[in-house]
Parts: sequence; structure tokens; C-alpha cells
Amino acid sequence: MKLNAPGIADAVAAEYVLGTLSALTRARVQRLVRVNPGLAGAVLAWEERLLPFAEGLTPIAPPARVWARILQGIDADRAPAEAPSSIWGNLGLWRGLALTGFATALALAVVLFAPTAERPEQTLVAVLAGQDAKPVLIASADRTGRTLLVKAVAPVEIAADRTLELWALQAAGNPRSLGVLPPSGVARMTLPGPAGATLSSIPALAVSLEPRGGSPTGLPTGPVLFSGPVQQLY
Amino acid sequence: MTATPEDVSRQIERGARLMELLARTALADQRAFAELYRLTASHLYAVALRILRESALAEEVLQESFVSIWNNAGTYLSARSQPLTWLTSIVRNRCLDHLRRRALDTVTIDDEEQGMAIADDNPSPLDMLLASADARALRRCVEALDADQRQAVALAFYRGLTHSQLARHLKQPLGTVKSWVRRALERLKSCLDGAGINRSSER
Repeated sequence: MKLNAPGIADAVAAEYVLGTLSALTRARVQRLVRVNPGLAGAVLAWEERLLPFAEGLTPIAPPARVWARILQGIDADRAPAEAPSSIWGNLGLWRGLALTGFATALALAVVLFAPTAERPEQTLVAVLAGQDAKPVLIASADRTGRTLLVKAVAPVEIAADRTLELWALQAAGNPRSLGVLPPSGVARMTLPGPAGATLSSIPALAVSLEPRGGSPTGLPTGPVLFSGPVQQLY
Repeated sequence: MTATPEDVSRQIERGARLMELLARTALADQRAFAELYRLTASHLYAVALRILRESALAEEVLQESFVSIWNNAGTYLSARSQPLTWLTSIVRNRCLDHLRRRALDTVTIDDEEQGMAIADDNPSPLDMLLASADARALRRCVEALDADQRQAVALAFYRGLTHSQLARHLKQPLGTVKSWVRRALERLKSCLDGAGINRSSER
């Protein structure tokens, strides 16, 4: 399989997700997904395209014994395993990390009772919420990385002539713009330096509503819609 | 059956709820895990049952899948997908792996008629494809496919048939079936992406 040829990885990913590949080819794709980020990304994109077709199925309640067996099968005293066995385990920076931050803000109590929350790498996470305290955006970055991943977890509706801009609030001094955000989905912002150095002194991130294209002044000009403290996770 | 704004908002709310439950599951919160099961098991069981067509095996896959979800919920964010899509992919992949392990490649699928006759709640793969497309406002893209392409995609998606099984089932040369599927996927991609229905524009 020459997966580097244009279109090949995408075509293979499509057939893999649809389910038409033979046992041998299927196993091969599963091995390649672990080491080929392009293929892994193509598989994710095809899952987003095709798996909604499963939503047309009429739900069928499984027998109660299934849940009983699941409970027997999980180790309830232990936090989930660090080493993911899913095929997405090697996808890079975000592996098994950033989600913990989401949970921290959403369910602090849970974190307090989860002493096993240690993680192999350090991650910076900010959960940005509006006035109703509902999380809207999750920003996360690996300490050593320069990419800040910003994921929308709730719909953000803004007028067509407005732009959302992300700011790093400073302990002292003016907020620094980290760039403008798309109104939905996932954004990857490039940080001026490694996240550990750039963000660890930042108390909070905030999003303001700006004229289309971003603030003309370099400082927030519109209302702050969402904000959240930067937290370090280990 | 077109999605109303209320449907869409319900879907978004459900997505946010599932995301929260996955996050708490990642921290070994059993109550969140139980709630996640309560909200999604019927859907995921239907997915497994549809492909495997055998309740004992579907139960086994559902059980394995949820144990895996418990163990790997922390990797969810790295998948950057819709929570239900992520959960469905876990179940569906296990189903397909089971099917392939059983080497069904060598077994002729001769139960189409039985499948059709089982019950009213077991519509044909083609009907399923159109129904789900309807629900997700994807109907236009599915309908834009040629009938042959649509049939091949529906059988592959809901029955998990390989190219060679499709060829036997549809009584067509392997090359013909492969090109139906390939072209159907190309057309679906350009139609779905063109409609803005892709992972970056949808939460």
C-alpha cells in the first residue's frame, strides 16, 4: 500500500471505515494507522462522514446481563489505564491528556477523589465558560509543544461581521492576542514559544467579540464572552 | 423527518452531555460511566446487532466495547470527534473484526430474504441508509448516488460485507463492485464536505 501517494490514504481510509476490506487488509490498515498520522486523520474524517448513517437505526435495549458483565470486567478501584489500547493511542501530543483538564473544571469533586490522575506528560488546559458557567471552549497544549488546541464544546453564535479573538490575560499588563477563532469546530493556534513557558505564567484565557478579522487595536475592544483559568495537569 | 432546529439543539446538548460523561469516565467515575451506558447502549447494541445479526455475539461486543471505553475514555479528546461517533467507531470496529475473524469471506450471504422477513423494525440496508440520511439531512448526498452504488454502500455499511462478499451477493464481477463502492465514496465525500457536514464544522 503506497499510502503516501495522493488520495491513496484517503481511499483506503474510506474503505476501512465503510467495512469493505478483507481481514488481511483490514489488519494491515489497523497497524498502519498507529504509525501514519495522515492515514489516522483520514480514518477519523471518514468516521465523521459515514458513522452518522448508524444513527438511523432504531435503538434496541440490550439485556440487563450485559451491564452486569461490564461491571465485572472493569477494575473499579483503578483509574483507566495510561497506555491506551485503542488505535488512536499514538496520535501525538494529545494522547490521553487534555481531557483530564476538561474533567477538572466540570467535576472538580471527581478530581479530588481521583488520586491516580497522574499523567506521563504535563499538559496545560483552560476550560472557557460564559456567564452561565457552561463550558464553551476547551484550550489545551502540551507543555513542550507550541500548538494550542482549542475545541468548541458548545455552539457559539455570532453575527457574520464579528470575530472571536482569544487572549492570554497577563498577571500584569495588557492581554496578549493569541489569534482569532473560527466560530465552531477545532482550531490550532500557534504559540510564540513552548506552551510551558508561554502559558504557565498566564492566569487565564479569555475570548472577546471583535469586529470581523479581529481587534483593530491589538487590545480587546468588545465584550468578553468566555474566560477560564489556565490549569496545569500532570 | 428533516432535522428541525430543536432536533439540532437537542443533538448538540446530547453531544455536550456525552462529552462530559466521557471526561468523568476517564477519571474512573463509575456513576458517569453508568449514565453513559444508559444513554448510548441501546443505540450501540442496535449497531452491533445489525452487523453481527446474532444477539449473543452482539452482547459480547457491547460488553467488550464498554470495558474498552472505561479503559480508554481518556483518549477520547485526542480522537477529536463527536462523542457518539467515537463510541460508534469502537463498537463497529469490534463488530467488523469479529466478522473478519470468523472468516465470513468464504461464506455466501444467502440470508437476505430471511433478513428482510424478520420484522418491520428490520428494514433493508437501503432503507436504513435513506432513513439515517434523512435524519441527518444527508439525504441529498445519498440520493445523488446511482442505485448500484447506493445498494453497495448500504450493504457494506449495515452488513459489513467485504468487496468479495458484495460481489457474490450482488452477482457482479469483483472489479465492478469495487468501482461502485469507490465512486460512491468519492461522491459522498465531495457532497458531504461540500454541504459543510464534516468534523470541523459540526460539533
